[in-house]
Amino acid sequence: MPAKDYAPIDQNWLEDAGSLWTTPWVDKPSERVIVDPIILSHAASLFRKNAGYFYQNPDEAIRMVCHACELYDVTPVGHYLYADYWGQDYGAEIKIQTNSPPGITKRPIKTAEDVDNFEVLETEDLAKGPTLTTHYKALDTCKEEFPHMFAPITQLGGTMEVATNWAAIEDVFMWMITEPELVDKLCVKAGDHMVNACKATAERYGANVMITGSVIASGDLMDTEQIKRFSFQPVSRAVRKVLNAGAGPGIYYHLCGNHTDDFQMWKNAPMSPFTIVQIGYDGQNIFPTSKLVEHFGDRCTCFGTVDTKLVDRGTPAQVYEQAKEQVLAGKDSPRGFILGTACECPTNAPPVNVHALVKAAKDHGKYEKF
Amino acid sequence: MDIKITEELDNTLKDNGFKKEEIQELIDNAESSGVKLKARDGDVSIAKGVSDNLTMYAVYSPSELLDVYAHKMSILGLTGGELNDVDYDDASDWTCAKCGEIALERNVDMTYMGVTRPGPGLVCPKCDEFYVSDGVAKTLKTAESILEEKRA
Repeated sequence: MPAKDYAPIDQNWLEDAGSLWTTPWVDKPSERVIVDPIILSHAASLFRKNAGYFYQNPDEAIRMVCHACELYDVTPVGHYLYADYWGQDYGAEIKIQTNSPPGITKRPIKTAEDVDNFEVLETEDLAKGPTLTTHYKALDTCKEEFPHMFAPITQLGGTMEVATNWAAIEDVFMWMITEPELVDKLCVKAGDHMVNACKATAERYGANVMITGSVIASGDLMDTEQIKRFSFQPVSRAVRKVLNAGAGPGIYYHLCGNHTDDFQMWKNAPMSPFTIVQIGYDGQNIFPTSKLVEHFGDRCTCFGTVDTKLVDRGTPAQVYEQAKEQVLAGKDSPRGFILGTACECPTNAPPVNVHALVKAAKDHGKYEKF
Repeated sequence: MDIKITEELDNTLKDNGFKKEEIQELIDNAESSGVKLKARDGDVSIAKGVSDNLTMYAVYSPSELLDVYAHKMSILGLTGGELNDVDYDDASDWTCAKCGEIALERNVDMTYMGVTRPGPGLVCPKCDEFYVSDGVAKTLKTAESILEEKRA
């Protein structure tokens, strides 16, 4: 749908939502904690479109996301994250899928020799590449049509996410055992790529918010030493380089998956004045917000989560109960709190479940420290 | 120590409201007290001057002023309060001229307009002195603008 077919965004809502959203970083009082269910292709389902349509139409995708934010009364930010995490820029082939994000079908690195010969693209080349041109189409639309919902976000993933889009995940995991130095090289290159991508966004929009952390490098797939070596250390180096290059200032550490054994190391990850830490799971269970606040509350903004499986397949009452527990444990975290989901809101999650998440924040998320 | 200032840098000083005399004083203080960072590779130093609402830095060689930058956020100390061991290569390119220790890149708490949050600092592990790099000063400038807008 072109822009003219959408109802206008309610400006009073936008002003209130903007105030809720900025509270975690600037300590400016507002009524309650904000909710960010990480809406991406879920927005498309509200408009009876599918995930494939969402990723092929970035300008329309951002409109759907912004209107979904108003519908649910959540963080007023036009998220759009292109889904292949940079593979295509380096020669990977992708397949557009109807009901899920684009999938990589052919990767540029196949052998150890390919790793040695692999060259990271410069900032200006990345800015012209398929990932950022798609991403910028969405961001430009947001900036033009929804200027108060614009944030210059760059979806970086972590070094292992980038590495496993350049080389097949089974090869990278085999090399971790047989030739770990090769994976070191790959992760250093992934980190350098992340720095250049951040610079590209900062140069275009004057600032950037980097989404990084660790999804593949979680306790279910890797041991703590591997996570430290191939994820925490190269990601930390990359973030430090980004900040030293004058890019930033937003950093969002998205630690998806199980981080029982490695979450403590992220306390020393480089941070800026606008840093969020989100941890998905503690073993098989959702990461308790009480534990997140205990370890990160005196450092940065804590992003407490509700299990995405519950949002997808649970009842509204189950979502509400878990959200209530998390928000009560986090709402007065010293450096701010956001209630959200463990990862992206599932594409076909029942809207009543997202509503239940927000309702819990409205019913129980009133700040007491202000 | 008399420092040469190129015309280009002189214009930068004027554009940013820095006075030559205060830069010279900052460098003189650093040279006499030894409180400064020195490049591990080369003959470049960073002097720091802290006032109520501005922290200013001068980067200089023995003969020439190379850069000047500043931030409004005030550094309070290490985030988390203690200098714990960090398991990655956080050694910076600078040493503390006073004690000779390599400055570490660590999170430091910074405060501005009543808001305290972390930021990436250069920390002498012995002297309890804190600095920021020129690149980070640019990042902080964006952060300061956001705080000024949102706290107004």
